[in-house]
Amino acid sequence: MQPAAKSAPVRASQCSQERAPLFATALALIGCLGLGGCVGSAQVSTLPAEWPARVELRGTPFYPQTENHCGPAALATVLGAVGHPVAPAALASEVYVPGREGSLQPELVAAARARGVLVYEAGPALQDVLAEVAAGRPALVLQQLGAGPWPNWHYAVVIGYDRDRGRVLLRSGRDELLDSRAALFESTWDRAGRWAVVLVEPGQMPARPDLTRYMQAASALESASPPAAAKAYDAAARHWPAEPLPLLGSGNVAAAQGEWSEAERWYRAALALDPASAAALNNRAEALARLGCRDAARRALQEGVSHVAADDPLRPVLDETARTLAADAGTADPAVCREFTVH
Amino acid sequence: MRKQFCVYAVCLALLNLGSPQLAQAALVATAQAVAAADARTADLALVNSTLAREQVRQQLSALGVDPAAVDARVARLTDSELRTLADRMEQMPAGGDALAVIGIVFVILIILELVGVIDIFKKA
Repeated sequence: MQPAAKSAPVRASQCSQERAPLFATALALIGCLGLGGCVGSAQVSTLPAEWPARVELRGTPFYPQTENHCGPAALATVLGAVGHPVAPAALASEVYVPGREGSLQPELVAAARARGVLVYEAGPALQDVLAEVAAGRPALVLQQLGAGPWPNWHYAVVIGYDRDRGRVLLRSGRDELLDSRAALFESTWDRAGRWAVVLVEPGQMPARPDLTRYMQAASALESASPPAAAKAYDAAARHWPAEPLPLLGSGNVAAAQGEWSEAERWYRAALALDPASAAALNNRAEALARLGCRDAARRALQEGVSHVAADDPLRPVLDETARTLAADAGTADPAVCREFTVH
Repeated sequence: MRKQFCVYAVCLALLNLGSPQLAQAALVATAQAVAAADARTADLALVNSTLAREQVRQQLSALGVDPAAVDARVARLTDSELRTLADRMEQMPAGGDALAVIGIVFVILIILELVGVIDIFKKA
């Protein structure tokens, strides 16, 4: 099966480790470039038989990069492919950092997300990335093309592969079609922390969805575009019908718009799936309080907290909410709250 | 234990200080719930984003980003992205240019040839 997905947010922490000692890296490079001794990447030659032998997403736009602007160019490439055409020059003001002569991963992700698309981190296996490509989504990747004291970070876009020839096809720099040996591509990608993202239209699912990474991407959409986040949560709830997190997300989208009654229904549905979900329990109590049903909120919290593990990281939040609610204990709820106390 | 302590501290910090992404301080944000549900991300879950936000704003300005654009760029980052940038902006990879790589490989080959590790440039 798949190797366990690495935790998503801090890719950067791997960079320093990626800088292999000069000689080791140089020898590896010589192995690949000088002597041609690299066997084809196992990841490409062993692609599942039911996949097409060759994929090239020809409809992917091409923006030749200008100096140091591979970030804006690669980002424009993947955005154009999902129907958000934008010129690299326009993106530069959103992502380029002059003092670093380049662009940073989180800013590329944020710029794509600001356009209402889900930015999903594919990987960590090359096959995970190629699965997205085979599903029609070009992947924005970071590569370390240099070595040792000459680091050379580079963004490119994977648009295809050729299984029989062991190749990965890229839009890269000034090359509209860079036909790269899969093993060489994989080593440059590996040295950059195996970072690859694809843009997913909210409501669709990535080819190989991982709950945590999907939900991180969807939750990041909440402030950028609440309707997009709501669609992403709906799709997640369909894909993982037993998971409470997508329902919690839908509830939070409703709550952020002041739709407390709708939010309460989402939180209740999440609790029905997992009574031990501290987040859903807490938020339901908060929603009830906002609806003017503080007594029902107190009771829901009291009953629910017995399901929550004593070492749950969100336990302090529950305690805090309970304290807040306890402030006016004794006042009876209006009659309209009765529906919330009937089980 | 340390991880757990971190998460507790972070949850409390979030509650007490509030976050621009939390419309109501007492709600558990989805990102927070995702982090809490996933042990792999627990220790880097969420921090005082107000502080990180200000730090990133200053760093980007210092690195030459147009002051008119800095606020909008910082505003769209999530808490965990802010933390990544605040901690590591100087060391993070900044993808820039692929054009020099051939030269770099060539230089490495020459160095290895000169110090006698390899012998691929045939002498006549």
